[in-house]
Amino acid sequence: MKRQLHLALNAGITFGIVTIFLFLIGFTGISGALLADLFRNKNANPFLGLTPIMLNMLIFLALVGLWAGVSGSRKSKGQEEDPWAPALLGGLIAGLVHGIMVGLVALLVGTLNLHHVPMNIYLAALLPAAIKQFLLALSPNQGALFYLGLFTLTGFLGGLLSRGVGRGVWRVRAGANWKTTWDNFNQITAIKRARSFRYTDYIIYGILLVIVFLVPLVAGQYWNYTIGTVAIYVLLGLGLNIVVGLAGLLDLGYVAFFAIGAYTMALLTAPTPHHLMWSFWIALPIGVVLAALAGLLLGAPVLRLRGDYLAIVTLGFGEIIRLLSTSDVLTSFSGGPRGVPSVGGPTLFGKPFNSSIDYVYLIFLAVLLIIFVTNRLQNSRVGRAWEAMREDETVSRAMGINTLTQKLLAFAIGAAFAGLGGALFASRNQFTGPEDFTFMVSVNVVAVVIVGGMGNIPGVIAGALVLKGLPEVLRELQDYRVLVFGALLVVMMLWRPAGLIPSSRRKMEERKDAGVIEAPQEGREK
Amino acid sequence: MPNTKSPARRVSTYRIVQLVLGVLFAGYLLWRIYVVFIGHPTYGPDTWARFLISGIVLGSVYAVIAIGYTLVYGILRMINFAHGDIMMIGAFGGYFVFEAFKAIPAPTKANPNLNFLNAQPIISVAVAFLVGGAIAALSGYFLEKIAYRPLRTAPRLVPLISAIGASIFLENAAQLMFGSQRRDFSNPTMLTRGNGWNLHIGGSTVILTYTGVLTVVLSIILMVGLYWLVMRTRLGRAMRAVAENKQTAALMGIDVDGVISRTFIISGALAGFAGVMWGVHLGLVYFYVGFLPGLKAFTAAVLGGIGSVPGAMLGGLFLGLVESVGPGILGMSFQLADVIAFGILVLVLIFRPTGIVGEVLTEEKV
Repeated sequence: MKRQLHLALNAGITFGIVTIFLFLIGFTGISGALLADLFRNKNANPFLGLTPIMLNMLIFLALVGLWAGVSGSRKSKGQEEDPWAPALLGGLIAGLVHGIMVGLVALLVGTLNLHHVPMNIYLAALLPAAIKQFLLALSPNQGALFYLGLFTLTGFLGGLLSRGVGRGVWRVRAGANWKTTWDNFNQITAIKRARSFRYTDYIIYGILLVIVFLVPLVAGQYWNYTIGTVAIYVLLGLGLNIVVGLAGLLDLGYVAFFAIGAYTMALLTAPTPHHLMWSFWIALPIGVVLAALAGLLLGAPVLRLRGDYLAIVTLGFGEIIRLLSTSDVLTSFSGGPRGVPSVGGPTLFGKPFNSSIDYVYLIFLAVLLIIFVTNRLQNSRVGRAWEAMREDETVSRAMGINTLTQKLLAFAIGAAFAGLGGALFASRNQFTGPEDFTFMVSVNVVAVVIVGGMGNIPGVIAGALVLKGLPEVLRELQDYRVLVFGALLVVMMLWRPAGLIPSSRRKMEERKDAGVIEAPQEGREK
Repeated sequence: MPNTKSPARRVSTYRIVQLVLGVLFAGYLLWRIYVVFIGHPTYGPDTWARFLISGIVLGSVYAVIAIGYTLVYGILRMINFAHGDIMMIGAFGGYFVFEAFKAIPAPTKANPNLNFLNAQPIISVAVAFLVGGAIAALSGYFLEKIAYRPLRTAPRLVPLISAIGASIFLENAAQLMFGSQRRDFSNPTMLTRGNGWNLHIGGSTVILTYTGVLTVVLSIILMVGLYWLVMRTRLGRAMRAVAENKQTAALMGIDVDGVISRTFIISGALAGFAGVMWGVHLGLVYFYVGFLPGLKAFTAAVLGGIGSVPGAMLGGLFLGLVESVGPGILGMSFQLADVIAFGILVLVLIFRPTGIVGEVLTEEKV
């Protein structure tokens, strides 16, 4: 009982902080708008004096309250029997604490707003209109009481719900059900036969490919631009995947090679700083080669370092490149802070590329090429050497792998892919400037690789779709994208360090690790 | 014979290359110093004094932040990438204290418009530092608990990525909550930025700002206090034991998790103090304010030998000086001060990853 109390209090306080945080960053209002879009009831009539946005916001908050109740009524450790009372009490207490915290904030903020204190000077999200919306146009006292009631009720319901489905047991059961379904599915003769047929994979990939290639024909100008961006991130992700996923070298300055590719393309084809106006098809390989060379040059001294030191050095290098491109020192050479406008585009058979569809297909071709190269590399002697190096550098050296050469190779190939991506990016945007190459780009690419699944091609594609594609679909969430990025990185590391689609080798390792009772801490440090 | 190079031989060629590059660099540096001071003196002694003062002030802030990196690295062998953002949180804490005190009226007969901030400047500044430090310490504690503790036994890159994620999260949470505009830190009038003692050097006046002196004095107090804490107290001894070997420390009856938590609290508090110093002296707070100082403080920690507390102090001072004097000596644009800082980071990590006073690390640790 005492443990349950502790658990419930913890859950209540945590959810109280989370709800207040969501309110302070202005997410509660956005959630209403988002759900209104989802339910398509934005223009519905007000109900009990509440606008549709407010109602939708209440739906969201009620869900949060339910979650708090479920969380507060979790079974505490070592509890064998499963009585009703602790579960319901846990939910109730969690809900009560949650409600008190949110209610107090609502009261405070509402009262200050009533006295026309301009809080949005300090807390940007607390515009008077937003506060009014949060208080459902009630007075501060009523609003606070309403939230106290709402969260207590939903907390209690959460407790009821969680006890009703057996308090956490359902999670295990759902997992088991899913597994048996999957096993049964695999037992179907047709599936079995299809699995043993050696071309099945190719057929599936072929169909997927055709679908992917048909999409740009039906998508509009804007969506093709977005698809192009996602595809460039796939390209960058595949490049970094070689460095991080296969060779196990964390590169936080990957944007530098992207920038080198982009600037090479821009300076060689644009009219302004140098008036070279070379053809796209000459500039493209030069950009790739220069990026690879930069990778070699940086890698040669740096790759002796291990792990996190390498990450910081590459980060420093990326920052140096960005600072140089922003400063006035190189203005005459590379356009300085204002960038390079009117970068040239490719012509094919005398026809210049000008619509975004042309670029989408060009980038798709590049992605296909890179997928092919990565696939061949991964299954080659080099790829296996990389993976061995990632797992244990000392052992791989003992097995006769020249780790320095292999690292350099990984670095240079990864850099070359980034150069290709950069060149295509600059040409498509017809512009290159320092603000395209911030540290966030590096982080985005790292996130794409890690969220998708390190060392795994489908994983990288999935990562790019989730991280670059989803935010475009959920336009209201634009402002929160980077925030979610950061949270996602932490959460992925806590729950699924191997990514959304783990590579098969990683999966095997995890299964192996699950059998180990407790590995000694020092021994596992790599 | 094609492949007679033994590993030992290869290492020695690497050393020779290092040596040659080092000598070349030192020669270039000496030549530049000759040019700048004797050949064609570009700046008078007053300008150099200004550089020196700003370098020492900046360096002492870096030193305080760098201690946080070094403490955590020493114990967990992980780079707390979010440390700079903890500093940002501390800076915001101080900012809000000043804003709140500015809003409290404290009228006197002589000046009816006086507010509490100017009526009690010493109390205000003390409270600002305490609140900034406390909030930052709290964030450090929760950061460790949520983002790092579950990953204690994971491979080394996993907590680093988690730390990067936490850093991005904190930055953007601050941006969404406080807005992205840069805010002026409203110091009490006593500590107006730019006011200070006038020194006469080389025929012109150089201002030794009050805020600068406050920053340096405070950081010296903090550093001495921390050194005492690590070397003379029970907690410090436990911290050193955990840094040496977690398992043995646990066998000796040390609560390892508790020590790690307290280390994060201490390093967070230091970052918070540094954040308020940053605000008071340089006068701007915004959500991104911690990123560059954090990175540079990490450079400082590496420069001094990561894991070593006196090393972090020396490294911080050195980096601050190099950053403010370096562009003048090398004849570069002052926009490139950050390039010099990062250049040093890259060079130190490549040529001497153990730092200036660093212990001789085994390869495993590097």
